Amino acid sequence: MSDETPVGRRQFLTLSAAGLAAASLPRAARAQARRSGEIVAGLSERMLTLDPANHYSISATSVHRHMFDPLVDVTNDSKFVPALAESWRAVNNLTWRFTLRKNVAFHDGTPFNADSVVFTIKRARDNTKLIKSFVYQDVESVEKDGEYAVVVTSKRPFGSLPAHLTMLGMLPPSAGRNEDAFFQKPVGTGPFRFTSWTHGDNIVLAANPTYWKPGQPKVEKVTFRFIPELSTRASALRAGEIHVIDRVTPDLVETLKGSRGVKVFDVPAVEAQRWIFQLAKEPVKDQRLRQAISLAIDRNVIIKDLLLGYGRVVDSPVPPGLIGHTSLPPKAYDPEKARQILKQAGYSNVTLDFVLMKDLYPKQLEITQAVAAMLGEVGIKVNIKNLEIATAREQRSAGTYDMFFSGWAHMPHDPDWYFGQWFTKAGSEKLTRYNNPRVEQLIAEGRVPDPKVRQAKYEELERILWDEEPEIWPYYSVAIYGVSDRLRNFEPRRDYYVLLSDVAIA
Amino acid sequence: MRAYVLRRLWQSALTLLGVSLLVFVVLRVLPGDPAKMLLPDGAPQSAVDELNRQLGLHEPLHVQYGIFIRSVVRGDFGQSFQYRAPALRVVTERIAATAELALAALILTVAIGVSLGILAAVRRGTRYDYASTFLAVLGQSLPNFWLGIMLILLFGVALRWLPTSGFESWRHIVLPAITLAAFPTALVARLTRSSMLEILGRDYIRTGRAKGLAERSVVLRHALRNAAVPVLTVLGLQIGTLLGGAVITESVFAWPGMGKLVVDAIFFRDFPVVQTVLIFSATIFVGLNLVVDLLYTVIDPRIRYS
Amino acid sequence: MSRVDAPVTNSGAGRLSPTALVGGILLALTVLASVFAPVLASSDPVKPSYSRRLAPPWGIGGTSAHVVGTDNLGRDILARLLHGGRVSLTLAAISVVIAAAVGIVVGLVAGSGGERVDAFLMRLADVQLALPVIMLAIAIVAVVGTSPAALVGVLALSGWVLYARTVRANVLTIRRLEYVEAAYTLGASDVRIIVRHILPNTLAPILVIGSSQFATMVLLESGLSFLGMGIQAPRPSWGLMLAEGRDYLSNAWWLATAPGIMISLVVLGANLLGDGLRDLLDPRAG
Repeated sequence: MSDETPVGRRQFLTLSAAGLAAASLPRAARAQARRSGEIVAGLSERMLTLDPANHYSISATSVHRHMFDPLVDVTNDSKFVPALAESWRAVNNLTWRFTLRKNVAFHDGTPFNADSVVFTIKRARDNTKLIKSFVYQDVESVEKDGEYAVVVTSKRPFGSLPAHLTMLGMLPPSAGRNEDAFFQKPVGTGPFRFTSWTHGDNIVLAANPTYWKPGQPKVEKVTFRFIPELSTRASALRAGEIHVIDRVTPDLVETLKGSRGVKVFDVPAVEAQRWIFQLAKEPVKDQRLRQAISLAIDRNVIIKDLLLGYGRVVDSPVPPGLIGHTSLPPKAYDPEKARQILKQAGYSNVTLDFVLMKDLYPKQLEITQAVAAMLGEVGIKVNIKNLEIATAREQRSAGTYDMFFSGWAHMPHDPDWYFGQWFTKAGSEKLTRYNNPRVEQLIAEGRVPDPKVRQAKYEELERILWDEEPEIWPYYSVAIYGVSDRLRNFEPRRDYYVLLSDVAIA
Repeated sequence: MRAYVLRRLWQSALTLLGVSLLVFVVLRVLPGDPAKMLLPDGAPQSAVDELNRQLGLHEPLHVQYGIFIRSVVRGDFGQSFQYRAPALRVVTERIAATAELALAALILTVAIGVSLGILAAVRRGTRYDYASTFLAVLGQSLPNFWLGIMLILLFGVALRWLPTSGFESWRHIVLPAITLAAFPTALVARLTRSSMLEILGRDYIRTGRAKGLAERSVVLRHALRNAAVPVLTVLGLQIGTLLGGAVITESVFAWPGMGKLVVDAIFFRDFPVVQTVLIFSATIFVGLNLVVDLLYTVIDPRIRYS
Repeated sequence: MSRVDAPVTNSGAGRLSPTALVGGILLALTVLASVFAPVLASSDPVKPSYSRRLAPPWGIGGTSAHVVGTDNLGRDILARLLHGGRVSLTLAAISVVIAAAVGIVVGLVAGSGGERVDAFLMRLADVQLALPVIMLAIAIVAVVGTSPAALVGVLALSGWVLYARTVRANVLTIRRLEYVEAAYTLGASDVRIIVRHILPNTLAPILVIGSSQFATMVLLESGLSFLGMGIQAPRPSWGLMLAEGRDYLSNAWWLATAPGIMISLVVLGANLLGDGLRDLLDPRAG
């Protein structure tokens, strides 16, 4: 065909594309027709911002996932799957290359491409006022390689980059022109569009009819309400006013199961509870004392009687499913041996301060009281200090604690952040004061992208930690959700997120 | 009279300035670090320091206060650390909710409290008196969050007559308003009763009765007007209680008001929001008391505070 | 608030009314029960017992071993109520006394110390009143920690102003009375005036305020514990028990109802007694 004919090649391609689009329309239209109803979710934590780069909150992550897509998604078994990136690979230890999905548009029509990715990641790194900024400080450069590929290089190996990217929703570059205005009415590529946000009360989202995943979303409208009071949240579910609630405590399960129209889902979470020790302080800097404390705690009683079975025995500092998880012999309960060790080491009349961050974890106060009683049995007195979060963290920085109730939920489904923060000298300086050069070396070596290398390094360092017992890992948490029986296809997430794009309501 | 008004205005201004200074200093003296509250638990110290710098918290105290006062005069109460939005906007969004609830509770308080009090006073010694006194004391004795949750369980879950929480329709305000109004209603009822009793026993009332004035007229015109004085005092103080006691009620009912906002902000160390809310509520409190004081002088010119 | 008024006749003064007596008895009973807590309840109020969690009270499915049932850690609720009563009542009583002491002193100073001292103290009171008690509580606890002393401090702080204002008003009124002025010109010192003329007159309103403030303190302590500012676990206090029972209202309502009823009874008693005292001692007070 010569360029002078009426239908040029470009026009031909455009027409063909249109034709294809038209041909696919019936399917999309059918998908549209299947969308119906409205779901209301009750979350325990208030959402404070609409900026995916400016928070580390679980409820905000839940909500944002509906408006924004990240490059990479993580399944409930902690497998990383394509989202806005169709594929990715480590070119070398310092470089990742992401190939992007085509034919995706933002809610305002802007096409999604490499410019968006470059903008989003650079913004996270360069604007140090953003909460997620510190994660991306190691990123050296973010370059586009054509319209649909991006190359990220870092100063040190950054094997956990894809994991962290599961929490960074992609933004259109136009957001940079006026961020305040943009985040009043944000625009993403997600299954739902922003409708309205009443601070502290609720956020309303409407379905995105041109979402790139077929068959999603399944409802027309989603409302997230923020109800921190558990009994209020549960009452709303039981009264039929909302359809799903998170952070249900074990004691409420029977009541919910007995309520008309309500079901309960539970799943082991990607969270290991941890009781940390102040490793530079007498007497808990003594490994024998820590060992005695560990032996004096009956973890099975905690799981069975206090958590009513909603906890799992720990066999590794890293929860199952994540890279680095391995199977180590569970810790024993042997108060007699604990007493012997204390006697041999010359400890009598030990008093310890056990600090909690108020209302942070379910049943934490009860469990601590139970532990105090158990330790009392072997002659260790425990003072429970249930402090408001800010004050507790100050005490932790200042080092004026012996034990501290401090969980860790692996939100990016990757343990590198955990190890890097709590088991390197620099990272734990104002926390646990941990210091073991061998472990620190293994952590550095475990940062490379190769999963086999990482697994080997993490297994080795975990064996060291298991012996040293710088922390006590009493149980893996279990996430419990209360769900209306009108919902279809609800999947209880291990990371506490409430995700509704694939959920329908009858 | 004018001197009195001016003096009261001057006193109010001083009070507000004192409040702003106290709040400002106390917040910064509290242990705990706003940056640490915003960043996740596992953030490195360098990130904490950087964020604190970004928030302007590294400056000396008097510099920060100076900046704060200059901004407030311009109408800028700073950026909320939590919400990254102007603190003034965050607060004004919530004021409506608290005001609604406080107003509903106030209406209940006046309507039910005064009525019960009058009933008990004019029917003194009868079962009406005992019943309403008992109800009043009960209202003052029940912890309000316990009352709230019981109401939710009864009317929201068991009977499903009313919504359990939230903010949308008039039906949402019923339970929280009752919960919040329980204590002040009881207080006002007892106070009205005792105040009315005192007045009804006075000589000039007896004179009025002796002269044959209708009972109704005696009660309503003379007694009530005089009994209003202490009741107004209490109402003035109750506004403060309503705003502060609303904290617990707002928590229980997930009512997006100022009370819950400020408690959360304190826990979070969100200084701008705390400052804004406390200055606002102090202004309302002081202003309302000023109005009440001035009303006194209208109702009973004999009264003067020395 | 001061009023110069004509004397008032009052019917029924001079005797404690029956309701006030009932109130006094209620109060006395709860105080006695708390004092004799170890005798009345043999179970340990602090030690957990997992096999007996959330047992209902006797008569609704429970046994006579735990008359009011057990809580979420298997502890006997009656034992916790009685031991908790010691804590809550003692704290409230001490707070009332301290608040009264501080308030009286401030009121005396303000009333007799001259214009500027008076203005300063009253502004201070205004500033404090303008801030909700909860805020003050959080601030104090954050700086000082959650000790019982801090709690007493917060409770006392919430109450002193009422005493101060009442005493101050009394002082100002009485100073103007003729015979007091006469005493001044005759050379009597301030202290003498205060002790002989002012204090006796203020005693009655102080008692009245004190009894109803006691009730308020008990309620305030429960509110502060609800927010986590009060007594720390595992020691029981009524407020803490209410807070702990909050999450179990739908499946084990007795956890929160028991302390709720105790608080209500004590407050009821204190209020009735306070009313009676007022009718008896100070018929003019409104």
